[in-house]
Amino acid sequence: MRGAFIFIVATIALDGSTVAAHHSFAAEFDITKSVTLTGKITKIEWTNPHAFLFIDVADKQTGAVTNWEIEMGSPNGLTRLGWTRTLLKPGDEVTVDGSLGRNKANLANARSVVMTATGKKLGAASSEGAK
Amino acid sequence: MKRTRAIAFALLVPAFVLIGSAQTGTGRIGGTVTSPDGPVAAAPVRATHQSTGRIFSTTSTTAGQFALMDLPPGMYEVSVPELGLATMPFVEKNVNVAAGQTTTLNVTLVKGNHGVIGDDNAYLTIRKKYLNVRGAAPRLADGRPDLSGVWNANVDPNPEAPALLPWANDVWKNRLSTAFRDHPDGFCLPGDPTPTIALFYKFVQTKGLLLLLFEHEPHYRQIFLDGRAHPQQADPTWMGHSVGKWDGDTLVVDTTGFNDKSWLIFATGLPHTEMLHMIERYRRPDLGHLQVDLRLEDPGTFTKPVERHMTWELAPGEEILEDICTENNKFPEYAGVK
Repeated sequence: MRGAFIFIVATIALDGSTVAAHHSFAAEFDITKSVTLTGKITKIEWTNPHAFLFIDVADKQTGAVTNWEIEMGSPNGLTRLGWTRTLLKPGDEVTVDGSLGRNKANLANARSVVMTATGKKLGAASSEGAK
Repeated sequence: MKRTRAIAFALLVPAFVLIGSAQTGTGRIGGTVTSPDGPVAAAPVRATHQSTGRIFSTTSTTAGQFALMDLPPGMYEVSVPELGLATMPFVEKNVNVAAGQTTTLNVTLVKGNHGVIGDDNAYLTIRKKYLNVRGAAPRLADGRPDLSGVWNANVDPNPEAPALLPWANDVWKNRLSTAFRDHPDGFCLPGDPTPTIALFYKFVQTKGLLLLLFEHEPHYRQIFLDGRAHPQQADPTWMGHSVGKWDGDTLVVDTTGFNDKSWLIFATGLPHTEMLHMIERYRRPDLGHLQVDLRLEDPGTFTKPVERHMTWELAPGEEILEDICTENNKFPEYAGVK
């Protein structure tokens, strides 16, 4: 269940004041370091406690390609947003917005994933469709 | 990407001033609660008078609108708690209320965990989906209330600060300052025996047993309703030993026999000893809601019991799904704690 845990945000009454704290999210990712990455998917791990996308990202200056690992929520959470494990396939190009990993190079999480072919923003649509 | 922060628009708009208030000499705070996905329904909104401490509460409508009425003039702190895992807490201080006027405060909630896909939005979506579940609470053949169902859990909107012994306070502060990196949950261990994780709990109730199923370790709890007592001697466990008795229509669950490894109250992460005694009170006032009152006693940790009071919502079309944490848990390595 770390999929849910890692990103939990909580109100904690500490010393009489209310503070917001990122828990394991903050241990793994740096919310102050945003990143936008565009590339083709090379691999998908539809696994617990997190699903991962791997994408090849070309450096705009040199053209050198780096494989990035993109962490998302749990398959259960993604499923409840209307995703399926075959929604994205290797070879699909996507643009990911997220935060950089703290302890590992070329690691980020995903706040949003947009499919280049359709322009569809994944993950946001289901709540827009909710009544 | 720009870092999104909580944005509050506290606008005194005399032109918007409505009809004043029902009570002479009082005012109102009104507005709309929204998130990046649109209006937020059923959000608890609380205004605390900053001088007197008096608290006024309401809940947003399906269109996200709220109105706090009959407020004595003065400065208020307006707050909306975290909603499941979906949004971060909102707090706006120094919201001025004048007699006979309405202060407009539009609350813009920021997504929890800054909107990482798959962990947050789903539960807000589901909350909206089942807002209109209506009906009487069901009962079993023996006449007892039937608590069965898939429940979308909520946290306590007004959590009280824990009163901790010095050692426990030190441990807790260390947990906070290290961003919960050592939380058992990150290592696929049972994170928290208390019913405070804002995800799904499935209750399956029979005459002699209430079974709780959930998508985190250890995935189940047994609450014996057959009159048995706690075992006299048993090895301490992560979830303890639970027995339940009815107090009218309220199920009172008593749990002892804990080890000291779990972190209590999921988003808070309190330490405890093996003296921990957990008392839960479950009451289903209608088909769609479950009132959950939690009390934690531990003289080895708390200087007074810790309480939480939550209202959960039925999610009748949802189901518990498999979640095998050890399948591909990269957290220890990626958080640098391996």
